[in-house]
Amino acid sequence: MRRVPIPERPDWRDHAARAGFAFHTFDDEPYWDESAYYAFTLAEVEDDIEAPTRELHALCLAFADRAVSDGAILASLAIPEHAWDAIADSFRRRDPSLYGRMDFCYGGAGTGPAKLLEYNADTPTALYESAVFQWLWLEDGLARGRLPAGADQFNALHERLIARLAAMGLPGTLAFTCYPDAPEDRGTVAYLQDCAVQAGLAAPFVPLDAVGLSEDGQFLDAGGRPLAALFKLYPWEWLLADAFGPAIGASPTRFVEPPWKAVLSNKGLLAHLWAMAPGHPNLLPTYFEDDPGKAALGTSFAKKPLVSREGANILLVRDGVLLERDAGPYGREGFVRQALAELPAFEGRHALVGSWIVGDEPSGLCLREGPRRITTDRARFVPHLIAG
Amino acid sequence: MADARTVGPAEDPGESRRRKRSAAISLVLVTGAGAAALGLGWLDPSQKEEDALVYDSLSACIGQGLRTEEACTTDYAAAQAAYSTTAPRYPTAEACRAHHGPDGCVAGETVAPDAAGSFVPLMAGYMIGRTLEQGLPAQPLYRHAEETQAAGGGSRGGGGYCTGSGGRVYAAAGRPATRVASSVARTPASAPRMVSQGGFGGTGRAIASAGSRSGGFGGG
Repeated sequence: MRRVPIPERPDWRDHAARAGFAFHTFDDEPYWDESAYYAFTLAEVEDDIEAPTRELHALCLAFADRAVSDGAILASLAIPEHAWDAIADSFRRRDPSLYGRMDFCYGGAGTGPAKLLEYNADTPTALYESAVFQWLWLEDGLARGRLPAGADQFNALHERLIARLAAMGLPGTLAFTCYPDAPEDRGTVAYLQDCAVQAGLAAPFVPLDAVGLSEDGQFLDAGGRPLAALFKLYPWEWLLADAFGPAIGASPTRFVEPPWKAVLSNKGLLAHLWAMAPGHPNLLPTYFEDDPGKAALGTSFAKKPLVSREGANILLVRDGVLLERDAGPYGREGFVRQALAELPAFEGRHALVGSWIVGDEPSGLCLREGPRRITTDRARFVPHLIAG
Repeated sequence: MADARTVGPAEDPGESRRRKRSAAISLVLVTGAGAAALGLGWLDPSQKEEDALVYDSLSACIGQGLRTEEACTTDYAAAQAAYSTTAPRYPTAEACRAHHGPDGCVAGETVAPDAAGSFVPLMAGYMIGRTLEQGLPAQPLYRHAEETQAAGGGSRGGGGYCTGSGGRVYAAAGRPATRVASSVARTPASAPRMVSQGGFGGTGRAIASAGSRSGGFGGG
C-alpha cells in the first residue's frame, strides 16, 4: 500500500459534470482529491481486506441472529423497545440487505492485520464516487497512459449493486427517500435509483418529510400511494425515534436497509463481536463504557458513541493524554471504548480504508484521508488502484 | 427509456486472473445533467406521456373549442362528481395548505358530508384527454404548492397542479394543452384516506441543528 502523488487531470471537473458527480467539493474544499492515489498489491486487497471483510460480515450475521431476539443485547444497543419486534421479524423473514461499508485501520502488508473500526451497515455514503467516479478515473488514467498499464481496481460495486437490486425479491417499485436538501445524501440516492432502474425496478423519489402514514397504518408516498418498498438513506435510530417510528413494525412496507441492520450499524456491535470472538486478528478489543472490563484497555483507547455519523463525538486518548476529539451532538445513548488503533499516516495524511459489501459479498474499496486522526466528513476521497 | 451511457473499459488486461472491477459502467439517469443529484426534480424517463387538456372552468373548455361543448360538459360533470368523493382529506388546515397553497383549501363539510372535520383542497380545474379516443378519465385538479427552496426549487414556472392521487400536472395559464405522465393521466383518485405527514425526519434535523458541523445528515 503506497500513496502515489500524481498531477490531477486539469479537466476532471468536466468529467465530474458529465458523470453527474455534483458533490465533489464542499464549502470550497475539495472532497474528491486526485492529486494522489493509493496503490495496493493484489495480495493486500484479497488477503488483508477482502477476506477479513467476508469473515467479519459472517460473524456479524451470526451476531444479528442472536441479537434480534435478545432483549438484553437490544437494550445494550439503546434500541427502543417498540422496535424490537420489527427488528426480529425482519431478520426472521430474511429481509435482504443491499449494502454496507466496513471501515478498517490498515497500513499495508507487513504492518499487521486490518482492524475493524466500525461497520456502517445502514446508511453508508461515498458510494457513487466509489462505484462510478473512481472507476472512471482509472479507465481514463489507463487510456491516457497516466496510470501503470494493466492496473486494476477493487471495485465491482456497480455491477453488483444492479445484480443485487434485481435479486432482492422486491416488488416492481422501490421508492427512495432521504433529506432532499443534503447534496451528498441526495446524490447517493440518485445513483442508487439509477441502479434500481437498471435492475428493472421503478425507482421514484419521495422526500423524507413527504412520507405519509394512513389511518390504517400504511406508509404512503406524497401522492397517497402505498409504499410497498422503501430505500431510506436515513439511519434506523433516527427513524425509530421519529414520530412515525412506532408505526414501522405494523406497516407492510419493506425497508432497505431492513430493520435488523440496526443491530450492526451501532458501535455496540464492536463490543459484542469482541466478546464473541476474543483475539480475532481483525477486531480491536472493545467494551461498553459501563463494563469494568474496559480497564483491560489501559490508558490508550478510542471512546465512541453507540450511534454517530462522520466521526462525530469520538475521542482518542493515548497514554492517558487526549489525542484528539471531534465535537458533535451524539452520545446520549452511551459509548463504547475501543483499543486505540491510530490510522497510518502517508505524507502526513491519515488514511482510512473503507471496504464495501453488497449483499453478502465484499465488492470494493474506498480511501478517505485527512490531516486528522479521526476521519470526519471533511476527509477527502482519494482513488485507489491495484498494481502488482 | 433514455439511452444508457455506457463506458467500456479502456483495455482488456488480457490476463488470466479475474478482473476486480466492474466490466462497464452504464448510467441511465444520473448523467441526465445530474438532474436528480441536483434536486431539479425527478422525472422517470421510462414513463409514457399522454396529451391532455387542463381547464380552470367549464367555460374555458367550451371557449377553446378543442373538444366539443358536449365533451367539455360531460367531463366537467364527471370531474365534479369525482371531486366530492375523492378529494384528499387532511386532518388540519396547515397540512392541507402545505400541499395546496395558502388559498387552496376549504373545510371538508362544504364539499361532502363524510369530509366533515377534515380539510379539503379546492377544485382548481379539471383535466381531460386531447381526444375522445384516448379514453382518459376526467379528473379534478388541485393547486400544488411549489416545493420549498430547500427541496431544490425546481420550479416549472407555476401552473402546478396535482391530481387526487398525487400526480403532478403542469399547464401554463391560457395554454391548456399539456403532456402528462401516463400513470397520472390514467389513474383517477380512489376514495381518500386520512393521511398524516411529516412524521419522518425530525430526529435528524434536531441533531443536525444541535451539532456544530455543516453536514450532519443521514449518511456516513
